[in-house]
Amino acid sequence: MKRYLFYFVGLGLAAQTPSATPAADEFSSSIRPFLTRNCQGCHNAKNKTGGLAVDQLTSAATLTTHADEWEKILRKVKTGEMPPVGFPKPAPAIASRFTAWAETELDRLAAQRPDPGRVTAHRLNRTEYNNAVRDLLAVDFTPADDFPADDAGYGFDNIADVLSLPPLLMEKYLSAAGKVSRQALGLVKISPALDKYTTDRRRSQRVRISDDLPFGTRGGLIVKHRFPADGDYLMRIRLSGQFDKSIPAPLLDLRLDGVRLKLFETPISMEEEEEEKRRFELRVPVTAGRHEVAVTFLEETWKTEDVAPKLLNVDFVEIGGPFNPKPNLNSPSRQRIFTCREQTEACAQTILSGLARKAYRRPVTITENAALMRFFRMGRQDGGTFDAGVQLALKSMLVSPNFLFRMEQAGLPAKVGEMSVERVTDLDLASRLSFFLWSSLPDNELLTLATQKKLREPAVLRAQVKRMLADSKSRALVSNFAGQWLHLRNLSQIKPDPDKFPEFDPELRESLGRETELFFEAVMREDRSVVDFLDGPFSYLNERLAKYYGIKGVEGSRFRRVALTGDQRSGVLTQGSILTVSSYPTRTSPVIRGKWILENFLAAPPPPPPPNVPELKTEEIGATASMRQQLEQHRANPACASCHARMDVIGFSLENYDAIGRWRTQDGKFPIDASGTLNGVQLNGPADLKALLRSRQDEFIGCLTEKLLTYGLGRGLERADKPVVRSISRNLARDDYRFSSLVMGIVESLPFQMRRAPAPKGPTAVKIASAR
Amino acid sequence: MFITRKSLDRRTLLRGLGLGIALPMLDAMTPAFAAAPAKAAAAAPRRLAFCYVPNGIIMPAWTPATAGKDYELSRVMQPLAAYREKMLVLSGLAHKNGQALGDGPGDHARAAASFLTGVHPKKTEGADILLGPSVDQVAAEAIGKHTRFASLELGLESSGMVGNCDSGYSCAYSNSISWRSATTPLPPEVNPRAVFERLFGDGENFDPQTRAVMARQDKSILDFVRGNVSELQTNLGGADKRKLDEYLYSLREIERRITDAEKQAASGGRDQSPTIDKPAGIPVTFEDHAKLMFDLQVVAMRTDLTRVMTLMIGREGSNRTYRSIGVSEAHHGLSHHLNAAEKIEKITKINILHAELFAYFLGQLASTPDGDGTLLDHSMVVYGSGLSDGNRHDHHDLPVLVAGGGGGTLQGGRHIKYESKTPMTNLYLSLLDRLGVKPETIGDSTGRVEHLSL
Repeated sequence: MKRYLFYFVGLGLAAQTPSATPAADEFSSSIRPFLTRNCQGCHNAKNKTGGLAVDQLTSAATLTTHADEWEKILRKVKTGEMPPVGFPKPAPAIASRFTAWAETELDRLAAQRPDPGRVTAHRLNRTEYNNAVRDLLAVDFTPADDFPADDAGYGFDNIADVLSLPPLLMEKYLSAAGKVSRQALGLVKISPALDKYTTDRRRSQRVRISDDLPFGTRGGLIVKHRFPADGDYLMRIRLSGQFDKSIPAPLLDLRLDGVRLKLFETPISMEEEEEEKRRFELRVPVTAGRHEVAVTFLEETWKTEDVAPKLLNVDFVEIGGPFNPKPNLNSPSRQRIFTCREQTEACAQTILSGLARKAYRRPVTITENAALMRFFRMGRQDGGTFDAGVQLALKSMLVSPNFLFRMEQAGLPAKVGEMSVERVTDLDLASRLSFFLWSSLPDNELLTLATQKKLREPAVLRAQVKRMLADSKSRALVSNFAGQWLHLRNLSQIKPDPDKFPEFDPELRESLGRETELFFEAVMREDRSVVDFLDGPFSYLNERLAKYYGIKGVEGSRFRRVALTGDQRSGVLTQGSILTVSSYPTRTSPVIRGKWILENFLAAPPPPPPPNVPELKTEEIGATASMRQQLEQHRANPACASCHARMDVIGFSLENYDAIGRWRTQDGKFPIDASGTLNGVQLNGPADLKALLRSRQDEFIGCLTEKLLTYGLGRGLERADKPVVRSISRNLARDDYRFSSLVMGIVESLPFQMRRAPAPKGPTAVKIASAR
Repeated sequence: MFITRKSLDRRTLLRGLGLGIALPMLDAMTPAFAAAPAKAAAAAPRRLAFCYVPNGIIMPAWTPATAGKDYELSRVMQPLAAYREKMLVLSGLAHKNGQALGDGPGDHARAAASFLTGVHPKKTEGADILLGPSVDQVAAEAIGKHTRFASLELGLESSGMVGNCDSGYSCAYSNSISWRSATTPLPPEVNPRAVFERLFGDGENFDPQTRAVMARQDKSILDFVRGNVSELQTNLGGADKRKLDEYLYSLREIERRITDAEKQAASGGRDQSPTIDKPAGIPVTFEDHAKLMFDLQVVAMRTDLTRVMTLMIGREGSNRTYRSIGVSEAHHGLSHHLNAAEKIEKITKINILHAELFAYFLGQLASTPDGDGTLLDHSMVVYGSGLSDGNRHDHHDLPVLVAGGGGGTLQGGRHIKYESKTPMTNLYLSLLDRLGVKPETIGDSTGRVEHLSL
């Protein structure tokens, strides 16, 4: 099926009534009998198993009246879940005929009467706010980190309907607007603060601690510190430990962005009374921005006979300041703001309307311009300077609903099939694109194309999507989409028991997350097949991770691409990050892992447990039973088995990975048993699981499409979106499942390009906003 | 590595530099608006505070065996022994609207949602969340106009987890216990630094004159954006309108605050300087975090910046681990102990720890002078959970304590056993009475409870 925009406007004319069509014939000759033979035994009006009764589906017309039921039936029969195990199954050819018919009919009807859905006024979430401020003003601090966490829905925190605006948040907006506008103009008086960086006691200081430090150094620490303004800063270092007095003490090296500031050679004493002799300080001018500060020892060239000699360590580094801060009149922020330099009202007008155009994602109206100038004059009067005027006007912009909300203009009426819908305006489309792919404001190129009404031209649209994916800002898809789809954000909060898993330190936690992010990024930037998420035979490792996984030949702390062989590691499901977020702090949970895969890879979330779940008979389970034996109880009880048969088996096949993702063959004193049967297929271990998922690739593709579509639209999907998902998935299959195809499919889809027309309000004409 | 940050006081700076540099007054050292010395206080106002613990409590270790004045303090309540006379233990209260009532699983979401509202939440994961106003917000609506902040919502656990929160219920239900209206949850602030900055200013140096100018400018801006919203609303549908309504309400709140601050600065009044240092951020240990938040609540009460507050010790369904007391397993998982003695013991330890921290709060309140008594004398502090038996997800016979003197209207030192399934909301009506707020009903209330005062 081609894009809805162009193809179905024509097809709408050819729609026919269902009574005397091939569909109706097929229905009576094979569809209705199929339902009677395979479904009606349980799913009838009397039993209503699973809330479904198929006896009411008496004609093809029910495809329209009972579309919800038909979609459910289609899904369950296509995945083979229904009829359930233990009941006679229809021959595959017959089942395919049934599902093909249902799918084609549902898609055809959807084409006639599509419902693109409607997104509510969409408040910027925290990430989007931070990015917007960054892109608008080149401000390098992230004010939204202080905002209350955004409510999530459907698995993502950018769902318009769910994002609310409590008074607390409004306060923060006002406060942040002040800080951001002052910071951008360089009007902020920075009070000196002292930041203290303490070395991680668990890391050895006997070796070089980072690839970013020169060879021949050991220990210390390296941090990226944010220097809020140009000025003088005080760096203070304190040492701990002891050193062998028979050899010279090591030299202490202090560097800024890799360049040595000082080599401390003064005598060191570690005696308690001589505290000052273990402290070193230096006062040095530094420019505003993030800089790398490194403190390290030049490795001792003397070796003692001691096997483990006493060595000095760096205890902490303090960075205090700024003292004598100088305003930076040529900061990147000011450069962005001051598109003209004369201190006239005309220039102020240019500056402010330029900023507002970017901030509001559209050209400003005359009234809006007038209001901004009023604030400019007020600020200029109060503060006495041109800059103060610009700052106040900018502050007002940053709390305006036009900035904080994505309010879409009334679209142009269009007809798709038989439905009247609204076409999203070019400017709104530009915003949809940039918030989808960059989680931020549209840039100048997008805004210009949109204002010129060129953005919708197919070639232009494709070129823009390609450009946007290639831009470094598309990293937002990694942090925000992948971070939520794969639950990577939970990695920072999960707490594996340090007694059982002492290896799990902050460095490992970070590395595991980074591995998965780099993997996703590779699929995205290299436009690989999305099936790689299932079992792509590569990953991104550094020495620490490689050792962790038992892979040889990787040295150094930088991440690099590593080809993977064998069954243990491939794709995303057997990466430590995923395995850790789907476990408990003290042990694995096959149930959680099974549920995770069902939800995030197969779009088949198990229903919640029924009320009054009977308790497991724990008396029969002692500490002598393995996890697996204990969980057998789930399957013994038929009330539990229907869901747990699926979840637990998937989880069992991953039991060789412990709660932090390491490979194991024993669980305490029990050998791992990773076998099970799912829908009649025998599984034993990860390779079988991945093969099974491969064989159900279509479901995975459908699931990924659903997730990315939800994220891209900013609303939950409804039944009317299912044909859209199918269409995108089909097109994706024809294009080798490439990532850019999936993105393009979503961008060109009906709900992305169109919007449900609002309920008619009466005889007023459709309002087209004055700012075009 | 560990990162800490603190604002400097002048002496530290001077010591470090060994120079006599004239430094501007750092904002952390001065109150937000320069205040004249406190005038003689009128009769001390009454405060209302709620402290919520998640996942229920081990009831056999909580409920005292006998009722009345001579009840024996239970194991979990031992840390509160010093405040026995200032505290009422209540049994028999229930939230019938926390039960499934046909909606299937989701008891944690329902427990948190019903705790202060007495309303059965609509089961949805999406945008159409629907509950009811919570008792603290009913109070705030009425008495909040006397203070700069109508109310304060605090918490110790942020809601950053991805994935659904509880079986088909939006995370909004488990993350907040305060609801301004049926559709607006009030998210708790988790970062103590942010709470401090809200109360006392955000740390950039502004002298009083600059602040006055900023207040005027801010009010202009708020007026202007309000105009923006009105324009936009004429073109919008229902759901959009609701979003912007929230925006408008928030604007009004801020304006009120700014006006109040201006008035305070002009007339002088209570001493509103903070007595604690500005926190650097979220403390590393749970205990320190909790104590700091309690300290902030005490400061907010003392300076009368607000009289209504809630604190969530954990979000409902919390999976925090408590290594400091030897519990490495996640709280929620443990709470489904299935009668395993070892797990029950661990949960009891968690319950005791929470009680210890609550005792710290009561101690701070008891030692802070307020008018003719202490803050504790003039407060009503409720401690409890939306679940009693966390393993079975029971919503009846809830664990509840009411501490404080309520300005002479509460007489402690007793264990009161109400008739089983007495609505908890009846307690709320009785507490609201003591604030002079008298709604007809709240949630599922059927009247008031007795015996709180003798």
